[in-house]
Amino acid sequence: MKRNAAIIGCGQTKHSSKRRDVNVAEMVSEAVYNALEDAQVSMREVDAFIVGNMPGFGGIAQPEQWLGDWIGAAGKPVIRIATGGTTGGSVGQGAYYPVASGLHDVVVAVAWEKHSDSKEAGATSGLLHVGLGNLFHAASYGLNLKNLMAMSMVGAAAGVAVYQAVFYMHRSGCTIEHFDMVAAKARRNAARNKYAHLQWPGCTPEDIAETELLAYPFRYGHICPASDGASAIVVAEENLARKKARRPAWYKGLASYSDEENQLQSENFGGVGVLDPSEQRGCWVSAMKAYAMAGIKDPQKEIDMAELYQPFPSQELIFAERLGLFDEGTAWMALEKGETDINGRMPLDPSGGVNATNAIGSSAMQRILECALQIMGKAEEHQVPKKVSNAVAHGWGGVTNYSTVTVLGDSPGR
Amino acid sequence: MIRRVAIVGYAQSHHQHNMQKTREDMVFEVCKEALHHAGILREDLDTVITASTDFLDGRTISSVFLSMAVGAFLKDESKVEEDGTFALYYALMRILAGTHDVALVEAHTQGSTLNPHQVSFYTLDPLFDRQVGVLNDVAAAGLQARMYMNRHSVSEEHLAKVAVKNIANAAENPCAHRQMPDVSLEDVMSSKLYYDPIRELTMSPISDGACALILASEEKAREITDKPVWIEGVGSCQDPYLRDRNIQNLDSLKSAANTAYKMAGVKEPLSDLDVAEVSEKFAHEELMIYEALGLCQEGQGKNLVESGTTRRNGEMPVNPSGGALGADPVCATGLIRVIEAAKQVRGEAGAYQVPNVRRALAHGQFGICAQKNTVYILGGNGS
Amino acid sequence: MGFIKDERPQTICVEGTWSLSSYHYKGSKLLEQYVKGLKQKKLIGSFCPGCAKVILPPRNLCGRCHRIMDGRKTVSDRGTITCYTVSPAITKGKLKVLGMDPVETGLIKDGEILIPVFVRFDGSDSNTDTILLNAEPKAVHIGMRVKVIWAKEPQGALSDFEGVEPI
Repeated sequence: MKRNAAIIGCGQTKHSSKRRDVNVAEMVSEAVYNALEDAQVSMREVDAFIVGNMPGFGGIAQPEQWLGDWIGAAGKPVIRIATGGTTGGSVGQGAYYPVASGLHDVVVAVAWEKHSDSKEAGATSGLLHVGLGNLFHAASYGLNLKNLMAMSMVGAAAGVAVYQAVFYMHRSGCTIEHFDMVAAKARRNAARNKYAHLQWPGCTPEDIAETELLAYPFRYGHICPASDGASAIVVAEENLARKKARRPAWYKGLASYSDEENQLQSENFGGVGVLDPSEQRGCWVSAMKAYAMAGIKDPQKEIDMAELYQPFPSQELIFAERLGLFDEGTAWMALEKGETDINGRMPLDPSGGVNATNAIGSSAMQRILECALQIMGKAEEHQVPKKVSNAVAHGWGGVTNYSTVTVLGDSPGR
Repeated sequence: MIRRVAIVGYAQSHHQHNMQKTREDMVFEVCKEALHHAGILREDLDTVITASTDFLDGRTISSVFLSMAVGAFLKDESKVEEDGTFALYYALMRILAGTHDVALVEAHTQGSTLNPHQVSFYTLDPLFDRQVGVLNDVAAAGLQARMYMNRHSVSEEHLAKVAVKNIANAAENPCAHRQMPDVSLEDVMSSKLYYDPIRELTMSPISDGACALILASEEKAREITDKPVWIEGVGSCQDPYLRDRNIQNLDSLKSAANTAYKMAGVKEPLSDLDVAEVSEKFAHEELMIYEALGLCQEGQGKNLVESGTTRRNGEMPVNPSGGALGADPVCATGLIRVIEAAKQVRGEAGAYQVPNVRRALAHGQFGICAQKNTVYILGGNGS
Repeated sequence: MGFIKDERPQTICVEGTWSLSSYHYKGSKLLEQYVKGLKQKKLIGSFCPGCAKVILPPRNLCGRCHRIMDGRKTVSDRGTITCYTVSPAITKGKLKVLGMDPVETGLIKDGEILIPVFVRFDGSDSNTDTILLNAEPKAVHIGMRVKVIWAKEPQGALSDFEGVEPI
């Protein structure tokens, strides 16, 4: 017996660089209440919670133990999932399984980040912490300090995304101007999304090109912000979903395949066997598995829009190809033709995406949520003009080795 | 449950105070051993779910450099924080959903990286309790113990009896951290006092350790082994925050147990179950766990210890492996209980085997005063 | 329904700390062997008997084969740039690492341009991240041949490997 699950309600908070009007518990509950209201579901009907964020950024360990009461989680199962940048994607996928397994009927999934709670900009301590053990280890073997400076310089700009972008440019032929176009599109789209952070109506690639070069090939205008925000979805089993929602967004396929870590170093400062960080095998395998589960044979034809995890503009192009939405090395050509615009053939990130709004734990969840909004027809100002039957949501994280791919549709997949 | 799911293989490390192994080696070894125990290859896995926390491991995204060690190279992987029993819950859901058939579940903590009691301080309400700075999990357990003892006339000797039972059991278990075969009531009662009445030997040790378990759907389980251990029931629940709950009771455990009992058709826990493996991070918690699990009436927990009911040769043995008082590698502790319960069902527990186990209970917890609990009912082919 | 909070425009700010320095990480012995090689101006990578991959610096595990990479293999100190990035001119106050300004401490010359690169050394199957020295930023390209710059008197430390330069 197979059980279907659908998203019947979405809630998110306004994102900005500092949400000083709320503390983290209040911010998370804001998203949860909005989702419950959207779904027309009362707190009592919720069977289980899936939650997640990046704990190092807020400085609170296992925050759901404290803030569980704020979201009505007391007396219910609460599972906390955290996988780095993909946290939101993993939480959004985590909400499918309790319903599909038959253990629960209505599940709330919520993911968040409150960057401004960390004193240092960009949650430095939290991010540094990923490799802190490795760094200490290497330091005891006489680390090359100049090399460390170079690594820090790259890291401060964008980490391995810089290298990833250069690899992609080298093999596809795209240029830095295409990154300007993606970033400008993200800011323009964000201006139509009332929850988004970096909004810039009428932003042009020339505006982005004027910003300072941080580390080749990235400019200041290419980089995502650090946002405060939360997002939540309500997932329900088939009968309830049909009763509660006019047009539920059904989970059709999902997968999250891990690749080898490919950010500079492995555990204990060892080398890494991934020769091209833009290859992203994990994403490619996840996409194939998710499409197979969803019964999608030709994603270029059957997928109507996508929400990609693109903190850096190069990633929108890389992952659009990895998800099979464009042929290898051609995404930038489609971008030039306007195919990825909000009214294009294959709209990418009509919400503005991570490039415009980045509350890390929540970012990948927002991709799922935005796809659901498009399917439900609730995306308001940034609703794509065409009918959305199938949408794909992508998440990316870890040390560039984790991917989550979720296919949502207007009818149950299996 | 809409599908039958079984445990088909497992492994755990030799838990100890400061393991002379890197986190990567420790995790790799248990995963390799668990695959070997099940007699399958990494290639046979569909999904891998791990459990650890960033604060305890001292790394943001604690799982990220371990994906290769757990065998998740190009596998559908995810990480659940906190206890391994939550990771098992997720893996179970994945198999029940029909999207996966074989799962590896892994959990680990090296307590020697950072004192877990310090980490418990970081889980407190950052706006109040963390500012006040007097509480951590041990201090809260002290309060809980006193409230419970006062209400039900439980003496420190009762707590010491629990500790002696579990620590003596642990001496028979080669994987346990505490190896004190001759432990006596006096040893426990005279051990170092932390927060009254919590003493060194009435609380769990700080251990390094890891464990891994292989889970499979019915069809796969029958292919893999002749001795599958079926998951017959499962329940999980979270209590309100420390300040908003009655810490004298383990309400969420009660709720989790009732869900699991209902699913497994357990009506009289004391007679329907043959053995239980529970995560008692403090001796008094074991008594409270007896009551929450319905092994006795409220306040009667001490009688089960007094009468020897929960001894290894008693009517209802609890923690024949030594429990959390025997070894506590924080995130792994609950999953180790599941493994120990599965061992009892399969008759592989060696020196601490309880005769004729058909049905076993395993319990995992996380958080201050056992805020989050998960209960599993396991059964063999005959049950 | 809905969560509404309008009593005050700003929350109270309270401080909290998290001690990052109190962790005790366990390191492996892999780097010990590696720096011994560096002392003799040799690059010793790990070799996987399962898939024959050579990884530099040595790593412990091969994820693909799920086994310990217990073989060792010396690779050439010449290789090919597989990727690069170019920094803007680094001036005083531009970069701060571990609380230090590298220009102030003299580690980087005022106005110096850094070129971090990935190098695939001949005989290895991994990228090694390092810096390109003695080269014009404009000249760097993918496929450029480079060799290791060794310290004059290797000490058996990671810093014996100072960077790479064009051949």
